[in-house]
Amino acid sequence: MPERTAPPRLERPSPLSFALLVGAAALVLSSFQGAGFSLAELWAGLPQMARILGEMLPPAHDRWDRVLASLLETFHMALAGTLLGVLFSLPLAVLACRALNPSWPLRAAARALIALFRTVPDLVWALIFVVAVGLGPFAGTLALMVDTMGYAARFFAEAMEEQDKGPQEALAAAGAPRSGLLMAAVLPAALPSMVATSLFCLEKATRGGVVLGLVGAGGMGMELKVAMDLFNYAEAAASILAILLLVVAVEQASAALRRRIIG
Amino acid sequence: MSATLTLAAPLAAPPPGPDDLRIEGLVKRFGATEVLRGVRLRVPRGQLCALIGANGAGKSTLLRCLLRLVEPDAGAIEVLGEDARRLRGRALRRLRARVGFVFQRHNLVPRLSALSNVTHGAIARAGALAWHQALAPRALRAEAMRCLEEVGLAPLALRRAEALSGGQSQRVAIARALMQRPEMILADEPVASLDPAAGREVMGLLAGLARQRGITVLFSTHHMEHATAFADRIVALRGGAVAFDCPAAAASPAALERVFA
Ligand SMILES: Nc1ncnc2c1ncn2[C@@H]1O[C@H](COP(=O)(O)OP(=O)(O)OP(=O)(O)O)[C@@H](O)[C@H]1O
Ligand SMILES: [Mg+2]
Repeated sequence: MPERTAPPRLERPSPLSFALLVGAAALVLSSFQGAGFSLAELWAGLPQMARILGEMLPPAHDRWDRVLASLLETFHMALAGTLLGVLFSLPLAVLACRALNPSWPLRAAARALIALFRTVPDLVWALIFVVAVGLGPFAGTLALMVDTMGYAARFFAEAMEEQDKGPQEALAAAGAPRSGLLMAAVLPAALPSMVATSLFCLEKATRGGVVLGLVGAGGMGMELKVAMDLFNYAEAAASILAILLLVVAVEQASAALRRRIIG
Repeated sequence: MSATLTLAAPLAAPPPGPDDLRIEGLVKRFGATEVLRGVRLRVPRGQLCALIGANGAGKSTLLRCLLRLVEPDAGAIEVLGEDARRLRGRALRRLRARVGFVFQRHNLVPRLSALSNVTHGAIARAGALAWHQALAPRALRAEAMRCLEEVGLAPLALRRAEALSGGQSQRVAIARALMQRPEMILADEPVASLDPAAGREVMGLLAGLARQRGITVLFSTHHMEHATAFADRIVALRGGAVAFDCPAAAASPAALERVFA
């Protein structure tokens, strides 16, 4: 039997893909330049970083009451913002779902709105709401709500879209109106996935809520920013530690819940 | 079974009573392919009619056209005295509610209980109260339980549909159709996914319940023995039209074979 020759290890790239490869490499290199990457500056900054780290340890422990209060505020913002966002996501998702909304202009409008909510970062929403309703946790809650809608509405719509069409056709054949298809067939089937998405949104909102304080929209971030601005690194460290605990706690709880729902 | 009632009837002699189904010149195209090319069929009240034909002959398409689950391209369709092609919105839904449709795949909502799925049969008349068994008023729940009893599944009322066997699921689908209080049942290969014993049993159940209530039935099947055992009449589709139409008792094996040749 003649020995079978193996195919070449690597395929020779076509001229076009070779050119694309060179272009991509150039882009990566130039981006380091554009980002002002400088080893020298990093090196010069190291002692400064070590100093800050030294001052952070041990974290301040005399203001736990205030840290805890703002931590709780962050969590409240996240929970309320997620809840409102999930609630408003439901009708938006139904409007964006092809199987439930046959009118394509309405569908396109809903999808555009969802895309807008998603693509504008939560920090920008917070800036806008701070101007609209003033400094404080309410602005942050609204920002988290809109951010949640951008995420939840999209995944709710996808969950509704990908459900088996059979039960929906059966209900339509029994004379059900579209609301009946939604409530009796689509929602029951999509519910686990939607609950999982909502929990994920809570995690996301908790992380997001921490940052919103930087622009004055309430919560932990305000505490952190004040401490940093006053060069009070020990207090900043206490805030960072508290943030870490909150985010990890919410993530663990939500992961456990999601496992129970999906499993 | 009383499947041989029409034994002595000459070819396609209509029993007394109005036609529940009148189809004239029905045409349906998918793109360039003409699946139905002028189907003509009348089914009198109370008749059990089997629809046979090779894969792709258009049986499912025909059945779906009757309730406008698929939009026909031409022809006239009269269902239970209504001009099905003219109806839209509420009026169309009201007609659909009068006709039970049993699918090859049971098409139950998998996460809901058997009882909830049966309750869905009342969705056209009860609205939101039929979304879930827990929302249904006492009378509606009792009626759904009676329908489950008819198909022998009352003990499994609260079992989730996804945890039922194929035969049990199809029984629940039949109970859901009964919950509609249907005047007619359309069934698209209702037992195709069941083993031979369960298939015979479920087909017999469907035929028996329909006869008891005087419900008109048009069902498609690939099982000639089901067609001859449970139907009064056999209609064959071939080349997009009715190729063959005779009383079940008079259908010769040779004639049936030719439908698939
Ligand atoms: N939605 C659709 N889009 C395009 N073509 C379709 C569609 N539905 C059915 N067809 C085509 O129409 C023809 C008839 O299909 P239909 O399902 O009605 O046949 P059938 O007699 O029910 O076959 P089977 O015995 O396999 O169930 C087939 O050629 C099929 O490919
Ligand atoms: Mg078919």
